[in-house]
Amino acid sequence: MTQLDHARATELIMRRGPQDLAPGDLEWLEAHLESCSTCAQYETDFNNAGQLLRATAIIASPALVNRTQARVRERAIYLREQQARTVLIAISFCLGAMLSAVSGWMWWRFGAWIAEHVGLSLAVVEPGVIVFLLLPAIAVAVLMLAFPHSVLESSVVGALGREREGVRQ
Amino acid sequence: MIATAFSLLAPMETEEAQIASGLRRRDPDLLDALIEQYQHRLLRYLVHLTGNRAVAEDLFQEVWLRVLEKGHLYDGRNRFVTWLMSIGHNVAIDYLRKRNPSSLDEMRDPDEGVPFEPPSHEPSPLEQAATHQQQQMLGEALEQVPPLFREVLVLRFQEQMKLEEIAKLIRIPVATVKTRLYRGVQALRPLIRGGVL
Repeated sequence: MTQLDHARATELIMRRGPQDLAPGDLEWLEAHLESCSTCAQYETDFNNAGQLLRATAIIASPALVNRTQARVRERAIYLREQQARTVLIAISFCLGAMLSAVSGWMWWRFGAWIAEHVGLSLAVVEPGVIVFLLLPAIAVAVLMLAFPHSVLESSVVGALGREREGVRQ
Repeated sequence: MIATAFSLLAPMETEEAQIASGLRRRDPDLLDALIEQYQHRLLRYLVHLTGNRAVAEDLFQEVWLRVLEKGHLYDGRNRFVTWLMSIGHNVAIDYLRKRNPSSLDEMRDPDEGVPFEPPSHEPSPLEQAATHQQQQMLGEALEQVPPLFREVLVLRFQEQMKLEEIAKLIRIPVATVKTRLYRGVQALRPLIRGGVL
């Protein structure tokens, strides 16, 4: 009987139960256990350890389960709302980008038409159109520079908080 | 309730696929049903892992919140219970590391909480006392086994998991699972032979 035989027997003892052993393995194990007292003792200890573990009863209280279910449900609703909001923001962004591209192209063409009919140089009209397109962003940048960040942030956070309260009510 | 939750889903899908689909949708009814179904098994695992009932109850809630948030990562190809326990394992390990990053074995405070409870049937006061005493002895006996070994013992004997499932759950090689199982049984040997059973 070699060390490998003992190692194989130990592994088969560990595997038996949750999975079905092949008939050949099972037969070999039974034969080995009959002839090897060390492995037979290990099997007894192993089975007793299983009994010991299964004898410990730990039960979740209904209060814990209810509390968990309530927390999970609340969080699930919040995440679903957030997901829906993210989808709306993504759609709005895509629509905004498309409209900006189309309107930008139209203004560019209009600038070219003006330059052609009024006789202005393209070197003047094209930068003018770009400045005109960027005007809203420039206005926002000026506003942000004019007012401290905390004012803007608090007003945005306040608005979001009021919106959230409104949703809850 | 569980049957109702599952019957609302496509009948041709396997149970694991139905759970995966429900978790992707963050279906609150399905989550309720899953919490009901796995409450005792998850709590038992966490109690054995942390050695503290109160901590295990906190982690129990944390695990389910993580199931909700990471639900889209469950693909339904493995058993749900294995995935759930792996989340439980990660949450518990995170907690234990935060408490003491040096060694998992040293992180348990044996004076904290009462780890094991008697079952919730209604026996006579004498039976209750005997059961309580036995549970206490078992709890104390198990507390002497290092958490790393106890975890593998719990998964093998209480959850009836295969060695490969345990290895996948804890993310260790099967050989390490066998070593821990072997040493876990060895650690219990004096208690078993000492007549705790």
